[in-house]
Amino acid sequence: MKAFVALVHRELIEHKGAFLIGPLILVAVLFGATLLAFTVGRVDARFSGQLFTVAPLRVYEVGFLAFGLGWSLYMMAVLFFYCADGFAADKRNNAMLFWKSMPVSDFKVLLSKLIAGITVLPGTIYAIALLSGILLYGVAYTTMLINGSASIATLGNIVGIYGQVALTILVTLVCGLLWYLPAMALVGAIATAVGRWAIPIAVLLPSIVSTLEWVTLGGLHPFDTQTWRFMEYRGALPDTPYVEGWLMSQDGFSGMAYALDLIGNMDWLQVGTGAIFAVVVIYLASEYRRRVNDN
Amino acid sequence: MTDLSATANNAIEPIVSARGLRKKFGRKEILHGLDFDIPPGRIYGLIGHNGAGKTTTLNAMLGLTSCEGTIRVLGEDPFAKRAKLMENVAFISDVASLPRFLRVRELFALLNNIHPNFSQDKARSFLEGTDIKPEMKIKHLSKGMVAQLHLAVVMAIDAKLLVLDEPTLGLDITYRKRFYRRLLEDYMTEERTLIITTHQVDEIEFMLSDIMFIRDGEMIVHMQMETVNDKFTQLVVNDPELQAAARQHGPVYEETRFGQTVMIFDGVDRATLEPFGRLSTPTLSDLFVALMQRPTANPESGR
Repeated sequence: MKAFVALVHRELIEHKGAFLIGPLILVAVLFGATLLAFTVGRVDARFSGQLFTVAPLRVYEVGFLAFGLGWSLYMMAVLFFYCADGFAADKRNNAMLFWKSMPVSDFKVLLSKLIAGITVLPGTIYAIALLSGILLYGVAYTTMLINGSASIATLGNIVGIYGQVALTILVTLVCGLLWYLPAMALVGAIATAVGRWAIPIAVLLPSIVSTLEWVTLGGLHPFDTQTWRFMEYRGALPDTPYVEGWLMSQDGFSGMAYALDLIGNMDWLQVGTGAIFAVVVIYLASEYRRRVNDN
Repeated sequence: MTDLSATANNAIEPIVSARGLRKKFGRKEILHGLDFDIPPGRIYGLIGHNGAGKTTTLNAMLGLTSCEGTIRVLGEDPFAKRAKLMENVAFISDVASLPRFLRVRELFALLNNIHPNFSQDKARSFLEGTDIKPEMKIKHLSKGMVAQLHLAVVMAIDAKLLVLDEPTLGLDITYRKRFYRRLLEDYMTEERTLIITTHQVDEIEFMLSDIMFIRDGEMIVHMQMETVNDKFTQLVVNDPELQAAARQHGPVYEETRFGQTVMIFDGVDRATLEPFGRLSTPTLSDLFVALMQRPTANPESGR
Protein backbone atom coordinates (compact mmCIF):
# COMPACT_ATOMS: atom_id res chain seq x y z
CA MET A 1 0.00 0.00 0.00
CA LYS A 2 2.90 2.34 0.84
CA ALA A 3 4.35 1.74 -2.61
CA PHE A 4 0.98 2.35 -4.26
CA VAL A 5 0.52 5.66 -2.42
CA ALA A 6 4.04 6.65 -3.47
CA LEU A 7 3.18 5.87 -7.10
CA VAL A 8 0.08 8.04 -6.85
CA HIS A 9 2.22 10.79 -5.32
CA ARG A 10 4.63 10.44 -8.24
CA GLU A 11 1.75 11.27 -10.60
CA LEU A 12 1.04 14.45 -8.69
CA ILE A 13 4.69 15.47 -8.86
CA GLU A 14 4.89 14.67 -12.57
CA HIS A 15 1.69 16.48 -13.47
CA LYS A 16 1.66 19.29 -10.96
CA GLY A 17 1.97 21.78 -13.81
CA ALA A 18 -1.51 20.92 -15.10
CA PHE A 19 -3.15 20.14 -11.80
CA LEU A 20 -1.59 22.60 -9.37
CA ILE A 21 0.57 25.33 -10.88
CA GLY A 22 -1.68 26.01 -13.89
CA PRO A 23 -4.85 26.31 -11.79
CA LEU A 24 -3.05 28.54 -9.26
CA ILE A 25 -2.04 30.87 -12.08
CA LEU A 26 -5.65 30.85 -13.27
CA VAL A 27 -6.82 31.71 -9.76
CA ALA A 28 -4.40 34.62 -9.65
CA VAL A 29 -5.74 35.87 -12.99
CA LEU A 30 -9.35 35.37 -11.86
CA PHE A 31 -8.66 37.12 -8.58
CA GLY A 32 -7.16 40.06 -10.41
CA ALA A 33 -10.11 40.15 -12.82
CA THR A 34 -12.59 39.98 -9.93
CA LEU A 35 -10.84 42.81 -8.12
CA LEU A 36 -10.89 44.92 -11.28
CA ALA A 37 -14.50 44.05 -12.04
CA PHE A 38 -15.64 45.30 -8.65
CA THR A 39 -13.36 48.30 -8.45
CA VAL A 40 -13.90 49.75 -11.93
CA GLY A 41 -17.64 49.25 -11.86
CA ARG A 42 -17.98 46.37 -14.35
CA VAL A 43 -19.99 44.61 -11.65
CA ASP A 44 -22.81 46.60 -10.11
CA ALA A 45 -21.56 46.54 -6.55
CA ARG A 46 -24.81 48.03 -5.30
CA PHE A 47 -26.61 45.03 -6.82
CA SER A 48 -29.32 47.39 -7.97
CA GLY A 49 -30.70 45.01 -10.62
CA GLN A 50 -34.08 43.53 -9.88
CA LEU A 51 -32.80 40.09 -9.04
CA PHE A 52 -30.19 41.26 -6.62
CA THR A 53 -32.50 43.76 -5.08
CA VAL A 54 -34.78 40.90 -4.20
CA ALA A 55 -32.05 38.41 -3.31
CA PRO A 56 -28.68 40.17 -3.04
CA LEU A 57 -26.92 37.06 -1.73
CA ARG A 58 -27.63 35.21 -4.96
CA VAL A 59 -24.46 36.69 -6.45
CA TYR A 60 -22.52 34.48 -4.08
CA GLU A 61 -24.40 31.37 -5.13
CA VAL A 62 -24.36 32.08 -8.85
CA GLY A 63 -20.78 33.37 -8.85
CA PHE A 64 -19.30 30.41 -7.00
CA LEU A 65 -21.43 27.89 -8.92
CA ALA A 66 -20.18 29.46 -12.16
CA PHE A 67 -16.63 29.12 -10.86
CA GLY A 68 -17.38 25.50 -10.00
CA LEU A 69 -18.69 24.87 -13.52
CA GLY A 70 -15.58 26.48 -14.97
CA TRP A 71 -13.26 24.41 -12.81
CA SER A 72 -15.18 21.25 -13.71
CA LEU A 73 -14.71 21.97 -17.42
CA TYR A 74 -11.02 22.66 -16.82
CA MET A 75 -10.69 19.42 -14.90
CA MET A 76 -12.40 17.37 -17.60
CA ALA A 77 -10.03 18.79 -20.20
CA VAL A 78 -6.84 18.19 -18.21
CA LEU A 79 -7.95 14.73 -17.09
CA PHE A 80 -8.53 13.77 -20.72
CA PHE A 81 -5.05 14.93 -21.65
CA TYR A 82 -3.62 13.35 -18.50
CA CYS A 83 -5.04 9.97 -19.46
CA ALA A 84 -4.01 10.33 -23.08
CA ASP A 85 -0.47 11.37 -22.19
CA GLY A 86 0.31 10.33 -18.61
CA PHE A 87 -0.22 6.63 -19.22
CA ALA A 88 2.51 6.72 -21.86
CA ALA A 89 4.76 9.15 -20.00
CA ASP A 90 7.21 6.52 -18.72
CA LYS A 91 7.99 5.44 -22.26
CA ARG A 92 8.15 9.00 -23.57
CA ASN A 93 10.46 10.08 -20.72
CA ASN A 94 12.79 7.11 -21.29
CA ALA A 95 12.06 6.13 -17.71
CA MET A 96 10.25 2.88 -18.45
CA LEU A 97 13.25 0.72 -17.59
CA PHE A 98 13.77 2.58 -14.34
CA TRP A 99 10.21 1.93 -13.19
CA LYS A 100 10.50 -1.65 -14.38
CA SER A 101 13.52 -2.02 -12.11
CA MET A 102 11.21 -1.33 -9.18
CA PRO A 103 9.36 -4.11 -7.37
CA VAL A 104 5.95 -3.01 -8.59
CA SER A 105 3.88 -4.69 -11.28
CA ASP A 106 2.80 -2.94 -14.46
CA PHE A 107 -0.81 -3.32 -13.32
CA LYS A 108 -0.03 -1.52 -10.09
CA VAL A 109 1.72 1.29 -11.97
CA LEU A 110 -1.18 1.81 -14.39
CA LEU A 111 -3.78 1.48 -11.66
CA SER A 112 -1.93 4.13 -9.64
CA LYS A 113 -2.20 6.45 -12.64
CA LEU A 114 -5.95 5.88 -12.87
CA ILE A 115 -6.42 6.28 -9.12
CA ALA A 116 -4.36 9.48 -9.20
CA GLY A 117 -6.65 10.65 -12.00
CA ILE A 118 -9.74 10.27 -9.84
CA THR A 119 -8.30 11.31 -6.46
CA VAL A 120 -5.32 13.59 -5.88
CA LEU A 121 -5.28 15.26 -9.28
CA PRO A 122 -8.94 16.38 -9.25
CA GLY A 123 -8.52 16.86 -5.49
CA THR A 124 -5.99 19.62 -6.07
CA ILE A 125 -8.31 21.29 -8.56
CA TYR A 126 -11.16 21.05 -6.06
CA ALA A 127 -8.98 22.66 -3.40
CA ILE A 128 -8.09 25.45 -5.81
CA ALA A 129 -11.76 25.86 -6.73
CA LEU A 130 -12.50 26.36 -3.04
CA LEU A 131 -9.69 28.89 -2.83
CA SER A 132 -11.08 30.76 -5.84
CA GLY A 133 -14.47 30.84 -4.09
CA ILE A 134 -12.91 32.31 -0.94
CA LEU A 135 -11.22 35.01 -2.98
CA LEU A 136 -14.43 35.76 -4.90
CA TYR A 137 -16.42 35.98 -1.68
CA GLY A 138 -13.72 38.08 -0.05
CA VAL A 139 -13.83 40.67 -2.82
CA ALA A 140 -17.64 40.69 -3.04
CA TYR A 141 -18.13 40.90 0.72
CA THR A 142 -15.55 43.64 1.16
CA THR A 143 -17.17 45.65 -1.62
CA MET A 144 -20.60 45.21 -0.07
CA LEU A 145 -19.28 46.24 3.32
CA ILE A 146 -17.80 49.38 1.79
CA ASN A 147 -21.00 50.37 -0.06
CA GLY A 148 -23.17 49.49 2.93
CA SER A 149 -25.18 46.70 1.32
CA ALA A 150 -23.81 44.11 3.75
CA SER A 151 -23.04 43.94 7.45
CA ILE A 152 -21.02 41.69 9.73
CA ALA A 153 -24.22 39.70 10.26
CA THR A 154 -24.33 38.91 6.53
CA LEU A 155 -21.09 36.99 6.94
CA GLY A 156 -22.87 34.04 8.52
CA ASN A 157 -25.16 33.73 5.50
CA ILE A 158 -22.21 33.97 3.12
CA VAL A 159 -20.28 31.25 4.94
CA GLY A 160 -23.40 29.08 4.79
CA ILE A 161 -23.73 29.66 1.04
CA TYR A 162 -20.04 28.86 0.59
CA GLY A 163 -20.54 25.52 2.34
CA GLN A 164 -23.60 24.69 0.21
CA VAL A 165 -21.83 25.45 -3.04
CA ALA A 166 -18.61 23.69 -1.94
CA LEU A 167 -20.69 20.58 -1.21
CA THR A 168 -22.36 20.91 -4.61
CA ILE A 169 -19.04 21.10 -6.44
CA LEU A 170 -17.66 18.16 -4.45
CA VAL A 171 -20.64 15.92 -5.15
CA THR A 172 -20.60 16.87 -8.84
CA LEU A 173 -16.89 16.09 -9.09
CA VAL A 174 -17.16 12.75 -7.32
CA CYS A 175 -20.20 11.65 -9.32
CA GLY A 176 -18.61 12.93 -12.53
CA LEU A 177 -15.37 11.06 -11.91
CA LEU A 178 -17.25 7.85 -11.17
CA TRP A 179 -19.42 8.33 -14.23
CA TYR A 180 -16.50 9.02 -16.57
CA LEU A 181 -14.13 6.47 -14.98
CA PRO A 182 -14.50 3.88 -17.80
CA ALA A 183 -13.83 6.56 -20.43
CA MET A 184 -10.72 7.67 -18.55
CA ALA A 185 -9.50 4.10 -18.24
CA LEU A 186 -10.11 3.44 -21.92
CA VAL A 187 -8.19 6.54 -23.00
CA GLY A 188 -5.37 5.57 -20.61
CA ALA A 189 -5.28 2.04 -21.96
CA ILE A 190 -5.12 3.29 -25.54
CA ALA A 191 -2.31 5.68 -24.54
CA THR A 192 -0.38 2.80 -22.98
CA ALA A 193 -0.31 1.18 -26.39
CA VAL A 194 -0.05 4.10 -28.79
CA GLY A 195 1.12 7.07 -26.70
CA ARG A 196 -0.25 10.48 -27.58
CA TRP A 197 -2.06 9.08 -30.60
CA ALA A 198 -4.65 8.17 -28.00
CA ILE A 199 -5.94 11.74 -28.29
CA PRO A 200 -7.28 11.52 -31.86
CA ILE A 201 -8.12 7.83 -31.47
CA ALA A 202 -10.21 8.46 -28.36
CA VAL A 203 -12.04 11.27 -30.11
CA LEU A 204 -12.69 9.20 -33.23
CA LEU A 205 -13.40 5.87 -31.54
CA PRO A 206 -17.14 6.44 -30.82
CA SER A 207 -17.74 7.53 -34.43
CA ILE A 208 -15.83 4.55 -35.79
CA VAL A 209 -17.64 2.03 -33.60
CA SER A 210 -20.99 3.65 -34.38
CA THR A 211 -20.24 3.63 -38.10
CA LEU A 212 -19.26 -0.03 -37.93
CA GLU A 213 -22.55 -0.80 -36.20
CA TRP A 214 -24.43 1.16 -38.84
CA VAL A 215 -22.61 -0.67 -41.66
CA THR A 216 -23.14 -4.12 -40.19
CA LEU A 217 -26.51 -3.83 -38.46
CA GLY A 218 -28.17 -1.01 -40.36
CA GLY A 219 -29.86 2.21 -39.26
CA LEU A 220 -30.89 5.56 -40.65
CA HIS A 221 -27.35 6.99 -40.53
CA PRO A 222 -24.06 6.37 -38.67
CA PHE A 223 -25.24 8.39 -35.69
CA ASP A 224 -28.55 6.64 -35.33
CA THR A 225 -27.23 3.51 -33.67
CA GLN A 226 -27.35 1.85 -30.28
CA THR A 227 -23.66 2.68 -29.88
CA TRP A 228 -24.17 6.38 -30.47
CA ARG A 229 -27.18 6.54 -28.17
CA PHE A 230 -25.15 4.79 -25.48
CA MET A 231 -22.28 7.23 -25.99
CA GLU A 232 -24.67 10.16 -25.67
CA TYR A 233 -26.12 8.64 -22.51
CA ARG A 234 -22.67 8.06 -21.02
CA GLY A 235 -21.42 11.42 -22.23
CA ALA A 236 -23.40 13.53 -19.77
CA LEU A 237 -24.27 13.42 -16.11
CA PRO A 238 -27.96 12.86 -15.36
CA ASP A 239 -30.30 15.87 -15.21
CA THR A 240 -30.96 17.35 -11.80
CA PRO A 241 -34.53 18.75 -11.57
CA TYR A 242 -33.57 20.47 -8.34
CA VAL A 243 -31.26 22.92 -10.17
CA GLU A 244 -33.91 23.73 -12.78
CA GLY A 245 -36.42 24.44 -10.00
CA TRP A 246 -33.96 26.51 -8.01
CA LEU A 247 -33.09 28.72 -10.98
CA MET A 248 -36.76 29.71 -11.29
CA SER A 249 -37.19 30.28 -7.57
CA GLN A 250 -35.93 32.77 -5.05
CA ASP A 251 -34.92 30.12 -2.54
CA GLY A 252 -31.37 29.77 -1.28
CA PHE A 253 -29.32 27.01 -2.89
CA SER A 254 -29.24 23.78 -0.91
CA GLY A 255 -26.15 21.70 -1.54
CA MET A 256 -27.68 18.75 0.26
CA ALA A 257 -30.86 18.83 -1.85
CA TYR A 258 -28.75 19.00 -5.01
CA ALA A 259 -26.52 16.15 -3.81
CA LEU A 260 -29.49 13.91 -3.03
CA ASP A 261 -31.07 14.79 -6.38
CA LEU A 262 -27.89 13.98 -8.34
CA ILE A 263 -27.11 10.81 -6.41
CA GLY A 264 -30.70 9.67 -6.76
CA ASN A 265 -30.65 10.17 -10.51
CA MET A 266 -27.33 8.43 -11.10
CA ASP A 267 -27.51 5.05 -12.84
CA TRP A 268 -25.46 3.16 -10.26
CA LEU A 269 -25.60 -0.06 -12.22
CA GLN A 270 -23.85 1.77 -15.04
CA VAL A 271 -21.33 3.18 -12.55
CA GLY A 272 -20.58 -0.31 -11.21
CA THR A 273 -20.32 -1.82 -14.68
CA GLY A 274 -18.09 1.06 -15.70
CA ALA A 275 -15.77 0.48 -12.74
CA ILE A 276 -15.40 -3.20 -13.68
CA PHE A 277 -14.78 -2.20 -17.29
CA ALA A 278 -12.11 0.27 -16.12
CA VAL A 279 -10.25 -2.37 -14.11
CA VAL A 280 -10.41 -4.83 -17.01
CA VAL A 281 -9.03 -2.40 -19.62
CA ILE A 282 -6.29 -1.27 -17.22
CA TYR A 283 -5.36 -4.91 -16.66
CA LEU A 284 -5.22 -5.53 -20.42
CA ALA A 285 -3.10 -2.42 -20.87
CA SER A 286 -0.75 -3.57 -18.10
CA GLU A 287 -0.34 -6.93 -19.82
CA TYR A 288 0.55 -5.08 -23.01
CA ARG A 289 3.06 -2.95 -21.11
CA ARG A 290 4.53 -6.03 -19.47
CA ARG A 291 4.96 -7.94 -22.68
CA VAL A 292 6.00 -5.27 -25.14
CA ASN A 293 9.59 -4.38 -24.48
CA ASP A 294 9.90 -1.28 -26.63
CA ASN A 295 11.67 0.89 -24.12
CA MET B 1 34.14 -23.17 -25.07
CA THR B 2 32.55 -23.42 -21.68
CA ASP B 3 34.18 -24.25 -18.41
CA LEU B 4 31.47 -24.72 -15.86
CA SER B 5 33.22 -27.37 -13.82
CA ALA B 6 33.60 -25.03 -10.91
CA THR B 7 29.91 -24.31 -11.00
CA ALA B 8 28.86 -27.88 -11.55
CA ASN B 9 30.81 -29.05 -8.55
CA ASN B 10 29.46 -26.29 -6.42
CA ALA B 11 26.40 -27.14 -4.38
CA ILE B 12 25.46 -23.49 -4.09
CA GLU B 13 22.27 -22.62 -5.91
CA PRO B 14 23.07 -20.44 -8.95
CA ILE B 15 21.76 -16.90 -8.98
CA VAL B 16 20.89 -17.20 -12.65
CA SER B 17 20.29 -20.42 -14.52
CA ALA B 18 19.36 -20.64 -18.20
CA ARG B 19 18.65 -23.70 -20.31
CA GLY B 20 17.92 -23.61 -24.01
CA LEU B 21 17.23 -19.88 -23.92
CA ARG B 22 15.89 -18.77 -27.29
CA LYS B 23 14.44 -15.50 -28.43
CA LYS B 24 12.95 -14.51 -31.75
CA PHE B 25 12.04 -11.07 -33.00
CA GLY B 26 9.63 -11.76 -35.80
CA ARG B 27 11.11 -14.63 -37.77
CA LYS B 28 14.67 -13.85 -36.82
CA GLU B 29 16.15 -15.82 -33.95
CA ILE B 30 18.38 -13.65 -31.77
CA LEU B 31 19.34 -16.12 -29.05
CA HIS B 32 20.06 -19.65 -30.18
CA GLY B 33 19.53 -21.76 -27.09
CA LEU B 34 21.86 -20.41 -24.39
CA ASP B 35 22.78 -22.62 -21.44
CA PHE B 36 24.54 -21.09 -18.47
CA ASP B 37 24.63 -20.83 -14.69
CA ILE B 38 25.84 -17.82 -12.75
CA PRO B 39 26.83 -18.59 -9.19
CA PRO B 40 26.55 -16.03 -6.38
CA GLY B 41 29.39 -13.74 -5.37
CA ARG B 42 30.88 -13.39 -8.85
CA ILE B 43 31.47 -10.46 -11.17
CA TYR B 44 30.54 -11.39 -14.71
CA GLY B 45 31.42 -9.58 -17.89
CA LEU B 46 28.91 -10.26 -20.65
CA ILE B 47 30.71 -9.29 -23.80
CA GLY B 48 29.75 -9.30 -27.43
CA HIS B 49 29.43 -7.27 -30.61
CA ASN B 50 26.57 -4.87 -31.19
CA GLY B 51 23.54 -7.01 -31.90
CA ALA B 52 25.10 -10.16 -30.47
CA GLY B 53 22.20 -10.61 -28.05
CA LYS B 54 23.69 -9.26 -24.80
CA THR B 55 20.84 -6.91 -23.97
CA THR B 56 18.28 -9.53 -24.95
CA THR B 57 19.95 -11.99 -22.59
CA LEU B 58 19.92 -9.40 -19.80
CA ASN B 59 16.29 -8.52 -20.56
CA ALA B 60 15.42 -12.20 -20.24
CA MET B 61 17.15 -12.28 -16.83
CA LEU B 62 15.31 -9.16 -15.73
CA GLY B 63 11.88 -10.33 -16.83
CA LEU B 64 11.60 -7.61 -19.45
CA THR B 65 11.06 -10.02 -22.29
CA SER B 66 9.66 -13.51 -22.65
CA CYS B 67 11.84 -16.25 -24.13
CA GLU B 68 11.61 -19.87 -25.09
CA GLY B 69 13.52 -22.27 -22.89
CA THR B 70 13.99 -21.89 -19.18
CA ILE B 71 15.52 -19.10 -17.19
CA ARG B 72 15.48 -18.77 -13.42
CA VAL B 73 16.81 -15.87 -11.41
CA LEU B 74 17.01 -16.44 -7.66
CA GLY B 75 14.86 -19.48 -8.33
CA GLU B 76 12.03 -17.49 -9.93
CA ASP B 77 10.77 -17.15 -13.48
CA PRO B 78 11.70 -13.50 -14.10
CA PHE B 79 9.04 -12.81 -16.72
CA ALA B 80 6.26 -14.15 -14.52
CA LYS B 81 7.55 -12.72 -11.24
CA ARG B 82 9.38 -9.55 -12.28
CA ALA B 83 7.91 -7.32 -9.59
CA LYS B 84 8.76 -9.72 -6.78
CA LEU B 85 12.19 -10.41 -8.22
CA MET B 86 13.08 -6.73 -8.33
CA GLU B 87 13.16 -6.68 -4.53
CA ASN B 88 16.48 -8.51 -4.83
CA VAL B 89 17.66 -7.44 -8.26
CA ALA B 90 18.82 -3.98 -9.27
CA PHE B 91 19.75 -2.85 -12.73
CA ILE B 92 20.95 0.08 -14.77
CA SER B 93 19.96 -0.04 -18.41
CA ASP B 94 21.85 1.35 -21.35
CA VAL B 95 19.59 4.38 -21.67
CA ALA B 96 19.32 7.34 -19.32
CA SER B 97 16.29 6.06 -17.48
CA LEU B 98 15.96 8.10 -14.31
CA PRO B 99 12.68 10.05 -14.24
CA ARG B 100 13.76 13.51 -15.30
CA PHE B 101 10.85 15.39 -13.76
CA LEU B 102 11.88 14.53 -10.20
CA ARG B 103 14.24 16.30 -7.86
CA VAL B 104 16.93 14.16 -6.25
CA ARG B 105 15.27 14.30 -2.83
CA GLU B 106 11.87 13.45 -4.36
CA LEU B 107 13.41 10.45 -6.10
CA PHE B 108 14.89 9.18 -2.83
CA ALA B 109 11.66 9.77 -0.93
CA LEU B 110 9.63 7.90 -3.53
CA LEU B 111 12.07 5.00 -3.67
CA ASN B 112 12.06 4.81 0.10
CA ASN B 113 8.35 4.01 -0.09
CA ILE B 114 8.37 1.97 -3.28
CA HIS B 115 11.41 -0.28 -2.75
CA PRO B 116 11.56 -2.29 0.50
CA ASN B 117 15.33 -2.72 0.22
CA PHE B 118 16.23 0.87 -0.63
CA SER B 119 18.04 2.94 1.97
CA GLN B 120 17.68 6.69 1.60
CA ASP B 121 20.55 7.30 4.02
CA LYS B 122 22.88 5.08 2.02
CA ALA B 123 21.94 6.83 -1.21
CA ARG B 124 22.63 10.23 0.37
CA SER B 125 25.96 9.03 1.70
CA PHE B 126 26.97 7.79 -1.75
CA LEU B 127 26.36 11.28 -3.12
CA GLU B 128 28.51 12.98 -0.50
CA GLY B 129 31.49 14.60 -2.15
CA THR B 130 29.72 14.90 -5.49
CA ASP B 131 28.16 18.00 -7.02
CA ILE B 132 24.69 16.46 -6.84
CA LYS B 133 22.44 18.22 -4.34
CA PRO B 134 19.04 17.05 -3.07
CA GLU B 135 17.17 20.04 -4.51
CA MET B 136 18.51 19.53 -8.03
CA LYS B 137 16.15 18.38 -10.75
CA ILE B 138 17.39 15.31 -12.57
CA LYS B 139 16.77 16.94 -15.94
CA HIS B 140 19.30 19.62 -15.01
CA LEU B 141 22.08 17.15 -14.17
CA SER B 142 24.88 16.41 -16.61
CA LYS B 143 25.17 12.94 -18.12
CA GLY B 144 27.95 12.04 -15.70
CA MET B 145 25.98 13.27 -12.73
CA VAL B 146 22.95 11.22 -13.80
CA ALA B 147 25.21 8.16 -13.97
CA GLN B 148 26.54 8.93 -10.49
CA LEU B 149 23.02 9.38 -9.17
CA HIS B 150 21.80 6.18 -10.78
CA LEU B 151 24.73 4.28 -9.33
CA ALA B 152 23.99 5.75 -5.90
CA VAL B 153 20.38 4.59 -6.25
CA VAL B 154 21.23 1.01 -7.19
CA MET B 155 24.00 0.79 -4.58
CA ALA B 156 21.52 1.90 -1.95
CA ILE B 157 19.37 -1.11 -2.82
CA ASP B 158 20.28 -4.18 -0.83
CA ALA B 159 20.09 -6.52 -3.84
CA LYS B 160 21.56 -9.95 -4.45
CA LEU B 161 22.04 -9.35 -8.16
CA LEU B 162 23.09 -6.14 -9.87
CA VAL B 163 22.89 -5.93 -13.65
CA LEU B 164 24.62 -3.10 -15.47
CA ASP B 165 23.96 -2.77 -19.19
CA GLU B 166 26.48 -0.31 -20.64
CA PRO B 167 26.31 1.76 -17.46
CA THR B 168 29.06 4.15 -18.49
CA LEU B 169 27.93 4.76 -22.05
CA GLY B 170 28.83 8.28 -23.09
CA LEU B 171 30.79 9.09 -19.93
CA ASP B 172 34.33 10.39 -19.95
CA ILE B 173 37.20 8.28 -18.66
CA THR B 174 37.28 9.99 -15.24
CA TYR B 175 33.64 9.22 -14.54
CA ARG B 176 34.02 5.68 -15.83
CA LYS B 177 36.98 4.92 -13.57
CA ARG B 178 35.24 6.51 -10.58
CA PHE B 179 32.06 4.58 -11.36
CA TYR B 180 33.72 1.17 -11.30
CA ARG B 181 35.96 1.97 -8.33
CA ARG B 182 32.91 3.04 -6.31
CA LEU B 183 31.10 -0.11 -7.30
CA LEU B 184 33.92 -2.33 -6.12
CA GLU B 185 34.75 -0.45 -2.95
CA ASP B 186 31.29 0.40 -1.70
CA TYR B 187 29.00 -2.26 -3.04
CA MET B 188 30.50 -5.62 -3.84
CA THR B 189 30.36 -8.29 -1.17
CA GLU B 190 30.62 -12.05 -1.26
CA GLU B 191 26.84 -12.37 -1.31
CA ARG B 192 26.32 -10.11 -4.27
CA THR B 193 26.58 -10.94 -7.93
CA LEU B 194 27.32 -8.39 -10.59
CA ILE B 195 26.77 -8.74 -14.33
CA ILE B 196 28.17 -6.03 -16.58
CA THR B 197 28.03 -5.50 -20.30
CA THR B 198 30.22 -2.88 -21.87
CA HIS B 199 32.27 -2.33 -24.99
CA GLN B 200 35.08 -0.84 -22.93
CA VAL B 201 36.18 -4.30 -21.82
CA ASP B 202 39.70 -3.28 -20.80
CA GLU B 203 38.27 -0.93 -18.18
CA ILE B 204 36.39 -3.67 -16.36
CA GLU B 205 38.85 -6.51 -16.86
CA PHE B 206 40.54 -5.91 -13.51
CA MET B 207 37.32 -6.48 -11.61
CA LEU B 208 35.87 -9.48 -13.44
CA SER B 209 35.85 -12.94 -12.00
CA ASP B 210 34.17 -14.54 -15.03
CA ILE B 211 33.51 -13.74 -18.65
CA MET B 212 30.85 -14.72 -21.12
CA PHE B 213 31.35 -13.96 -24.80
CA ILE B 214 28.22 -13.96 -26.91
CA ARG B 215 28.53 -14.07 -30.66
CA ASP B 216 25.44 -13.93 -32.87
CA GLY B 217 23.22 -15.27 -30.12
CA GLU B 218 25.50 -18.10 -29.09
CA MET B 219 27.70 -18.40 -26.02
CA ILE B 220 31.20 -19.00 -27.30
CA VAL B 221 33.15 -18.45 -24.08
CA HIS B 222 31.99 -18.87 -20.50
CA MET B 223 34.81 -19.26 -18.03
CA GLN B 224 36.52 -17.89 -14.96
CA MET B 225 39.26 -15.32 -15.45
CA GLU B 226 41.80 -17.66 -13.82
CA THR B 227 41.00 -20.20 -16.48
CA VAL B 228 41.40 -17.58 -19.18
CA ASN B 229 44.89 -16.85 -17.86
CA ASP B 230 45.76 -20.53 -17.83
CA LYS B 231 44.17 -21.39 -21.13
CA PHE B 232 45.10 -18.55 -23.46
CA THR B 233 48.58 -17.38 -24.28
CA GLN B 234 49.66 -14.46 -26.40
CA LEU B 235 52.91 -14.76 -28.31
CA VAL B 236 54.75 -11.88 -29.93
CA VAL B 237 57.16 -13.16 -32.51
CA ASN B 238 59.27 -11.29 -35.09
CA ASP B 239 61.41 -13.87 -36.86
CA PRO B 240 59.62 -15.36 -39.91
CA GLU B 241 61.04 -18.81 -39.25
CA LEU B 242 59.88 -18.76 -35.65
CA GLN B 243 56.51 -17.51 -36.80
CA ALA B 244 56.18 -20.48 -39.11
CA ALA B 245 57.19 -22.82 -36.32
CA ALA B 246 54.74 -21.24 -33.90
CA ARG B 247 51.93 -21.56 -36.44
CA GLN B 248 52.37 -25.31 -36.26
CA HIS B 249 50.75 -25.13 -32.80
CA GLY B 250 47.52 -23.73 -34.23
CA PRO B 251 46.99 -20.18 -33.02
CA VAL B 252 43.34 -19.23 -32.80
CA TYR B 253 44.21 -15.74 -33.95
CA GLU B 254 47.07 -13.97 -35.64
CA GLU B 255 47.70 -10.38 -36.62
CA THR B 256 50.59 -8.09 -37.41
CA ARG B 257 50.95 -4.94 -35.35
CA PHE B 258 53.69 -2.43 -36.08
CA GLY B 259 55.80 -5.06 -37.79
CA GLN B 260 55.35 -7.60 -35.02
CA THR B 261 53.27 -10.71 -35.35
CA VAL B 262 50.94 -11.44 -32.46
CA MET B 263 49.43 -14.90 -32.07
CA ILE B 264 46.93 -16.12 -29.53
CA PHE B 265 46.90 -19.78 -28.57
CA ASP B 266 44.19 -21.73 -26.86
CA GLY B 267 45.29 -24.52 -24.55
CA VAL B 268 48.90 -24.71 -25.72
CA ASP B 269 51.45 -25.20 -22.97
CA ARG B 270 53.49 -22.06 -22.32
CA ALA B 271 56.71 -24.03 -22.13
CA THR B 272 56.11 -25.15 -25.71
CA LEU B 273 55.71 -21.56 -26.93
CA GLU B 274 58.50 -20.07 -24.84
CA PRO B 275 61.27 -20.51 -27.46
CA PHE B 276 59.35 -18.62 -30.17
CA GLY B 277 59.11 -15.18 -28.58
CA ARG B 278 57.64 -13.08 -25.81
CA LEU B 279 54.69 -14.62 -23.96
CA SER B 280 51.91 -12.93 -22.07
CA THR B 281 48.28 -13.36 -21.16
CA PRO B 282 46.06 -11.71 -23.77
CA THR B 283 43.97 -8.81 -22.58
CA LEU B 284 40.24 -9.25 -22.68
CA SER B 285 39.98 -6.98 -25.71
CA ASP B 286 42.65 -9.02 -27.55
CA LEU B 287 40.83 -12.19 -26.66
CA PHE B 288 37.56 -10.64 -27.75
CA VAL B 289 39.00 -9.73 -31.13
CA ALA B 290 40.59 -13.17 -31.44
CA LEU B 291 37.50 -15.18 -30.62
CA MET B 292 34.75 -13.03 -32.03
CA GLN B 293 35.90 -13.04 -35.64
CA ARG B 294 32.98 -13.25 -37.99
CA PRO B 295 32.72 -13.42 -41.76
CA THR B 296 30.92 -10.08 -41.85
CA ALA B 297 30.93 -7.19 -39.44
CA ASN B 298 27.31 -7.47 -38.45
CA PRO B 299 25.49 -10.27 -40.23
CA GLU B 300 22.36 -10.00 -38.13
CA SER B 301 21.19 -7.51 -35.63
CA GLY B 302 19.65 -8.26 -32.30
CA ARG B 303 18.86 -5.94 -29.54
